[in-house]
Amino acid sequence: MDSSNKEIVKFITPFPMTESQKNMVKSKLSRIGNIDQMIFQEEVDPSLIGGIIIIFGEMLIDCSLRTQLDKMKEGMI
Amino acid sequence: MISIDRSIIFQIINFLVLVALLFRFLFKPVVQALDKRSNHIREEMEKIEKEKKAAEEMRLKYEEESKNIHIKFQEMQEIANQEAVKIKSKIIDEAYQESEKIKQTAEEKARIEIDKLYSELKLDIIDISTEMAAKLLRERIDISKQDQLIEQLLEEAIDKIEIKSDVQYGQQQ
Repeated sequence: MDSSNKEIVKFITPFPMTESQKNMVKSKLSRIGNIDQMIFQEEVDPSLIGGIIIIFGEMLIDCSLRTQLDKMKEGMI
Repeated sequence: MISIDRSIIFQIINFLVLVALLFRFLFKPVVQALDKRSNHIREEMEKIEKEKKAAEEMRLKYEEESKNIHIKFQEMQEIANQEAVKIKSKIIDEAYQESEKIKQTAEEKARIEIDKLYSELKLDIIDISTEMAAKLLRERIDISKQDQLIEQLLEEAIDKIEIKSDVQYGQQQ
């Protein structure tokens, strides 16, 4: 929480996010929290390949293809 | 009338006396000496016979002992042969067991090495496959696919979070 009690939500994607993507993500986040109380930050990490990682308070929502591939790799090992 | 010459009578008497003297002083000692010699020869013969008999007994005894020694030698040789066969068999068994042990150890080592190589190969294949998949995905992901991915994956994640929240809420109730 920052000084105005808003929670910082960080988006990490392999490409810069488009407005429509941001709106779509916010829309979905609204199902689990009040987006008016959120401050959104963006970060680009090409190693994710695709998808998104959202750091939301202590919560980590990992929807990246890199993690999907890593899980698949662990499953094969 | 027959006349006898006195000298003949004397000659006869002298002859008889001579015979008597010869018998007394010559013939008897000679006979005694001969008897003594004969006895000595007989004793020597008996002694030789005894010695011959003893020698024969000794020969027989040695022959018997030699026979016994030969039998004993054959028995010992037989025992030695049996012992040699046992030792040979034991050595062959031990060598076989040792070779089996070495073979098993080598097989075990080979199996471990193969398993290790297989695991390494499997990991390499998985790494390569994953990297290839990542490369292919990087080449094919564009804005529209990224939209689909975010839509699909985030939807599933949010659903799971909602279900978890519902469960926790239900447990608190």
